[in-house]
Amino acid sequence: MTVAAGIGYALIALGPSLSLFVAVISKKPFLILTVLSSTLLWLISLIVLSGIWRAFLPLKSTTWWPFALLIISSVGFQEGLRVLFWKVYKRLEDTLDAFADRVGKPRLFLTDKMQIALAGGLGHGVAHAVFFCLSLLTPAFGPATFYVDRCPQMPFFLISAIIALAFVTIHTFSMVIAFNGYAEGNTTDQYFVPVVHLVAGMVVKSASA
Amino acid sequence: MKAMAVRPLLLFFFFAQVRLSFSGELSSMESIPDLQESMYMVVDGYPCVRLLNLSGKIGCSNPGREKVVASIRRFRNANDLTQLTAVLVSLDELQDLLHRHFGLIGFSPTQKFPQAEFAPYPSINYEWNSMGSGIMLKAYDFPVFLLSESSTSMLQEVADKNEKVMNGYTTSVAEFDLVMQTTKAGTHDSESCLKEQTCLPLGGYSVWSSLPPINMSLSYQSKPIILLVASMDSASFFRDKSLGADSPISGLLSLLAAVDALSRVDGWNDLNKQLVFLVLTGEAWGYLGSRRFLHELDMQSDGVSGLNSSLIEMVSSAVNDALDALKRAQDSLKSENIEVLSSNSSNPGIPPSSLMAFLKKNSLTSGIVLEDFDTAFTNKFYHSHLDDMANINSSAVVAAASLIARSLYILASDNNDMHSSVLGAINVNTSLVEELMGCLLSCKPGLSCEMVKNYIAPANVCPSHYVGVVIGEPSFKPYLGYVDDVSRFVWNFLADRTSTPKENASSSCSKDCTNEDEVCIRAEINGKGVCVISTTRYVPAYSTRLMFESGIWNVLPPNSSDSMGSVDPVWTESNWNTIGLRVYTIQNGAYDHFILIGGITVTILAYFMIALARSLITKALKRD
Repeated sequence: MTVAAGIGYALIALGPSLSLFVAVISKKPFLILTVLSSTLLWLISLIVLSGIWRAFLPLKSTTWWPFALLIISSVGFQEGLRVLFWKVYKRLEDTLDAFADRVGKPRLFLTDKMQIALAGGLGHGVAHAVFFCLSLLTPAFGPATFYVDRCPQMPFFLISAIIALAFVTIHTFSMVIAFNGYAEGNTTDQYFVPVVHLVAGMVVKSASA
Repeated sequence: MKAMAVRPLLLFFFFAQVRLSFSGELSSMESIPDLQESMYMVVDGYPCVRLLNLSGKIGCSNPGREKVVASIRRFRNANDLTQLTAVLVSLDELQDLLHRHFGLIGFSPTQKFPQAEFAPYPSINYEWNSMGSGIMLKAYDFPVFLLSESSTSMLQEVADKNEKVMNGYTTSVAEFDLVMQTTKAGTHDSESCLKEQTCLPLGGYSVWSSLPPINMSLSYQSKPIILLVASMDSASFFRDKSLGADSPISGLLSLLAAVDALSRVDGWNDLNKQLVFLVLTGEAWGYLGSRRFLHELDMQSDGVSGLNSSLIEMVSSAVNDALDALKRAQDSLKSENIEVLSSNSSNPGIPPSSLMAFLKKNSLTSGIVLEDFDTAFTNKFYHSHLDDMANINSSAVVAAASLIARSLYILASDNNDMHSSVLGAINVNTSLVEELMGCLLSCKPGLSCEMVKNYIAPANVCPSHYVGVVIGEPSFKPYLGYVDDVSRFVWNFLADRTSTPKENASSSCSKDCTNEDEVCIRAEINGKGVCVISTTRYVPAYSTRLMFESGIWNVLPPNSSDSMGSVDPVWTESNWNTIGLRVYTIQNGAYDHFILIGGITVTILAYFMIALARSLITKALKRD
């Protein structure tokens, strides 16, 4: 669909993350580091998962439960990683607060903490979008377009860009909600995030399978 | 009618059959290359390419350097076209068109008197090929492809979908890559394109073989020669689909079967005359094979040593002798319902054939043309891609071969009192003919059949009898990679059949044999090459007006001693980079821009929302 459409799809998937980065993250170097490290962590989790599942793939099964198992295990692993991330963050927070006390500067505000969570979530989201949408976009720069039979109203690339945008949003805000939930001990919030992640994953998988 | 109009530009597809339902399959994609493959469907088709002669060009080409992209429509729906369209035309629709405009039934794209300029008589308006429309000899500035059966049904579905989904922003298009180098370089005739090296001359390698093998050590060859000539090349609108089953391959098959039958007869050295079998190529494009052969005979070149042109029968009684021989052969084959007749006296002369070249060279040559028609071609598909195996009858080929074999024996023995048992022993192997038909006229088994694979390692499976171009320097001992499959097969077959058995054990070889009288057959098959005593040679076939000098082809000026050279069109074929056809769906330009604007809007909107949220949060915190 030509270069114009290719850039359009890339912007639909990653434009808001770009805006978020420019507006919020780029102001504080620490947040940039947080984004990068959470991206890296998410990619590592994908590698580990694919390593574990390699033996069982490709799943040439007509029944639904192997796919469900795949999604549940992946989401479970990533949520577990989120808890780990939280624990690491907690220790980091203590270190930073101690340092702030030593040099006489104010401690971390609530907004700072939420910004760190936002950066973490953005890292996950960007990784997802790049991995699952941007990598498919190379053919989109050529002259042809592609429609899948299951959804003939929109080109395939548009669908994948919109889904990527949705996942960026989910990941970004999940992290904020989850950190908030862990900090205040609010169980509703704590369970809300994994459930949303799981539901989104199942919906997308069932739509494309 | 609109279909033939130049504006709007129409791009034709032809397909041979209409009825095949195609069940689509959703392939599961596992990678980006898979996605790319499912987006772009490659269509397999046979192109019509650009050929040039001294006065201009024929055939098809993309109009410029770019690929041509056009949306696909079926012929019956292509009524008012405002933009570039790829039109899907069925053979029935095309024949209907030709019938309504030219009154033709059947489909022959060449002239009504093919190669009339080479006729040794003046009546060039006689219609040998009454079905001839001449469309092959016109130039078209748009690409044309002949589709295979599977591609046909796929494209019909695509065209139907195009009709249904008239939503204005997506359509399926065909992308034609038929960019010809002569179009790019602006060389529009043979002389300029050969000079710029954007084209190559048509030509190939003819084969001749003598029975019995000629003894090279004898300084003086004295036996008169009877020459049996057949042609092995055909032509068609589509370069790679020139089968030419009736014209001329049926003749080639008869020659090969006759050689096989005669090879089982002994005592050739005791007979008074010598048989030479000559299989020519390039005859469809200016009698290249016969003219070059005659030229080399005059030059007494190495490749035709042992043949003295004066020994080829010029005796005026030769024709009568030949007719008598044919009659006697027919009588001896009485049981098989075969009839030989003289042609109608209303014919102006011999039909288009290699003998025309021989007669133009020397009008005293005695010759006979054996055909399966009388006053005009009965082949409705002369030089058409439809002249395939279904157009010929193996029993007719066997009959012709039997007749020829026996007549040749009668002529060579020159002996009036011959035992009928001797003649009766000369029989054509019917299964050989059928096997050769399957090898040379179809894709299954095609050139990968047993008989061919016994002699050569074929480069292609599907046979095509288009003469092709001359690659490299033409020579009598060519690099076998530049000689086409059928020529190599015929060479090996004739060498094997006309060989005399050796007393000592045959030595294995891979290229040439030490003894001058021997040739290496089956050289391409690993470990199976053997030296046999045979006189079988390649003779290059290319225009007598061309000379290859230091890597470039030069067009020689017409020579008064070469009357055929002055009317020779000197056919060449343009070079090209790739030829291909693919089909994919495109989106309207407006839709692409809509997506780009959407992406930019989403980004900017997100920025504002974030800025707004940030100010709201700051305000809320300040309040605290």
